[in-house]
Amino acid sequence: MFAIETNSLSKIYSTSFGKKKVNALSDISLKISPGTIFGLLGPNGAGKTTFVKLLLGITYPTFGSGLLLNKPVSNYLVKKKVGYLPENHKYPPYLKGRDVLKFFGRLSGISGKELEVKIGELLNAVKLTEWGNVKVKAYSKGMMQRLGLAQALINDPELIFLDEPTDGVDPIGRKEIRDILIEQKSKSKTILLNSHLLSEVEMITDRVGILNKGKLLREGSVKELTEKKEEYKIKLVETEYNYGKYSDQNTLIAKNSDGSLSVKVNDVTSLNLLVDALRKDNILIKEIELQKSTLEEMFISLINESEKNSL
Amino acid sequence: MIKNVWLITLFTLREAMARKVFLFFAGISLIALLGLILVFSVVGIDTFVDIANQSGSKGVIREVVNSIQLIIINPLAGLCLLLAIFSSASFVPSMMEKGNIDLLLSKPISRDQLLLGKYFGGILVVFLNILFLVIGIWIIVSLKFAYWNYSFLYVSITITFAFAVLYSIIVLLGVATRGSILGMMIAYFIFILLSPLLYAYFVEFKSVIENDVLKAFLDGLYYIVPKTSELTGIITINLAAGKGVTEYQPVLTSLIFLILAIGFSIYLFRKKDF
Ligand SMILES: Nc1ncnc2c1ncn2[C@@H]1O[C@H](COP(=O)(O)OP(=O)(O)OP(=O)(O)O)[C@@H](O)[C@H]1O
Ligand SMILES: [Mg+2]
Repeated sequence: MFAIETNSLSKIYSTSFGKKKVNALSDISLKISPGTIFGLLGPNGAGKTTFVKLLLGITYPTFGSGLLLNKPVSNYLVKKKVGYLPENHKYPPYLKGRDVLKFFGRLSGISGKELEVKIGELLNAVKLTEWGNVKVKAYSKGMMQRLGLAQALINDPELIFLDEPTDGVDPIGRKEIRDILIEQKSKSKTILLNSHLLSEVEMITDRVGILNKGKLLREGSVKELTEKKEEYKIKLVETEYNYGKYSDQNTLIAKNSDGSLSVKVNDVTSLNLLVDALRKDNILIKEIELQKSTLEEMFISLINESEKNSL
Repeated sequence: MIKNVWLITLFTLREAMARKVFLFFAGISLIALLGLILVFSVVGIDTFVDIANQSGSKGVIREVVNSIQLIIINPLAGLCLLLAIFSSASFVPSMMEKGNIDLLLSKPISRDQLLLGKYFGGILVVFLNILFLVIGIWIIVSLKFAYWNYSFLYVSITITFAFAVLYSIIVLLGVATRGSILGMMIAYFIFILLSPLLYAYFVEFKSVIENDVLKAFLDGLYYIVPKTSELTGIITINLAAGKGVTEYQPVLTSLIFLILAIGFSIYLFRKKDF
């Protein structure tokens, strides 16, 4: 069973009385296992929010279908086990923080003492205990976001959708939110996280999907996506040497400013042949390191590539 | 699930309280009731009561009590409806605002339940307001005349029903346009102008009109448009006088209108993308 499963999920919005059509989401087939933190990344307008809205029945797909916890998305009862923090969420300004949690808690099917206890716990977790009895119209942006997170967790959901949860939150608050998410994961909850903040996503997600213009460009674990397959950095004891003679069509060598070598090879055999050649000439090797890019580098190059291809 | 609808109903009530308009009306009601008590304690109505009692018939005193009650409730009920239309017009559009609707729809509640909750919530607010006023007037007048005209309590139901019909238009246009203006304008138009005019046509001027096409058109319009004029007028008066519902046609046609409008609202709301 998957926590989330989609089948060619697609959404076309028509605006200006049908004159302009937007392919907000095209043919997305994704499977997300329970207990994962999945990061959905993409530039503005990529379709991240649309994806979540389709899964929650807020908008309807033009084609395709989706399952949440093995139930079709059209079954509203499955949402008993779902929590959601929308982007730009709004609460009635006349409600106090505590009342917001009470309302959405009761709507999610919990009440009475259980709800009271849960509200206390969550206000504490998001550091809003002292603000629980203040009307939300007096909340700052970051406080609204914290309240939104508490609201998303009020029913102890199996599946949590968070659209930019750290938007407007200060660095310490962001760390606290990350800790809350990691704690949820340790309770084997599934989290789908929409974000632009790639360094943050890198810290906590297990898998990521990269969307651009409604298309899923890549999907995989953070490790898989950031590994540069056949690029190594070789550090040598001696730095002055003519490395040119080791290059051939299988092995591209460039010298870095610190004297180390950047090596692009076709496969591991070529790498070992290079090592053999270096060792034969008695060159001492200190370290061989598989090169990695940051998620951000990978993201930017992937998006640029896809923009180029679409031209 | 009734529980979900009830929950939304309660929170709509709360939203209404936060809007202050209903509190404003409750304040006016309270002032009216206090004024009534004051008038009764100053003006020597006792002599009036005596005359009524001397004539010996219960029928006379009942009529006196009934007319006094109606004279007081009539302008206040009208004001209540005007204010209710104004303040309930934004219930549905504000629910459909971005950021709010997303959250509501992510909860285990169906769209039908959500909309019905909003509908019943609006009705409940008006009912409570009217009930407060009707019961207040009823108790004060009845105590004074020592005659308990129970039929007067029906007024709270007819006025609420008239609002329920108007509110169904507001909900329908709220869902369709995502705004409050159009629904509010049409509800006012029907309540203040169209329904009274069509009623006047139906009972007074029908025979005057010679053109058959125009007649058929006006007849059709009369049957289609909610009959708030009769509901708050003749039907309320007869009910309060203990005569029961003397004519069912205005009630039934208005009820059919209400059901169709709400049914269509639900249909539109189910299909909407947010
Ligand atoms: N209700 C709507 N009507 C018409 N077009 C829409 C609607 N909602 C979204 N779109 C379009 O669909 C595309 C995807 O939007 P979406 O909100 O899913 O992007 P996103 O990835 O969440 O962006 P961001 O990072 O800015 O939040 C955009 O081109 C947007 O203009
Ligand atoms: Mg978005």
